[in-house]
Amino acid sequence: MSLPSPLPDLRDAPLLERPWVTVVWDDPVNLMSYVAYVFRSYFGIAAEEAERLMLQVHNNGRAVVAVGNREEMERHVEALHDYGLWATLSRAEE
Amino acid sequence: MMRFVQDDSGNVAATFFPVEIDLLRLAVSQLIDLLDAAASHALGASADPAVRRLLPDAYHDDAAAAAEFRRFTADGLIDRKEANARILLASLGDEDYLGDDADASTRGGARDDLPPVTVLLDETAVQSWLRTLTDLRLTLAERLEISPDGVQHLTGDEAPFLANVYEWLGMVQESLVHAIDV
Repeated sequence: MSLPSPLPDLRDAPLLERPWVTVVWDDPVNLMSYVAYVFRSYFGIAAEEAERLMLQVHNNGRAVVAVGNREEMERHVEALHDYGLWATLSRAEE
Repeated sequence: MMRFVQDDSGNVAATFFPVEIDLLRLAVSQLIDLLDAAASHALGASADPAVRRLLPDAYHDDAAAAAEFRRFTADGLIDRKEANARILLASLGDEDYLGDDADASTRGGARDDLPPVTVLLDETAVQSWLRTLTDLRLTLAERLEISPDGVQHLTGDEAPFLANVYEWLGMVQESLVHAIDV
């Protein structure tokens, strides 16, 4: 008798996963104007939205700047490290 | 330093005193040395807090994932940071300022008998400058022991000079962001 093939692990099913997020953290060094510029030029978002995200980083200590799959978020984090921003990725909070 | 101004073609230019050019060269050369040193042990997180800030953990609460990310990205990040730093150095021109700026005699503000130096940046150079100025300021902030609340804790003879350089680099960057942020 052959062994039954393993059941699929439901934790690996993408539809059931919480997405990943890219978080930018406040730091005492980066200029507010520069952070807003990075958000606008890298993510291609409008100036007002970039300004809002920048202020969220500044006032709340951090902001979620992107949501998606893990690979995408790793690419964003690496790009933001190129810019010198303090960025991390993690699972979205429930 | 006079503020950066963008022309119709998208290039930006600013004039610097020769002493400022020297200072930038010195700071950027030291950054390159730091990156070279970091490249030699990029596989692990560096003990140098400045390097740790230039290459921060990508995962806040998962050391294994952070190490894995570092293994795949650190070499590239260091290479690109170093390439940016070298582009900045190249845009500062040669050692000899006197031959670089034909219009210098018509501008005021000459100091130490040397005319100001005009630095002209195309789009690529602007991006390299923005990133390298950031890397310089991040590095200096670690040296100055600036805490998250923005307070400097370094004391001693070299602290005022480093703090001045830090402030000045911030001014240069603010001017550059302002010039292209239209």
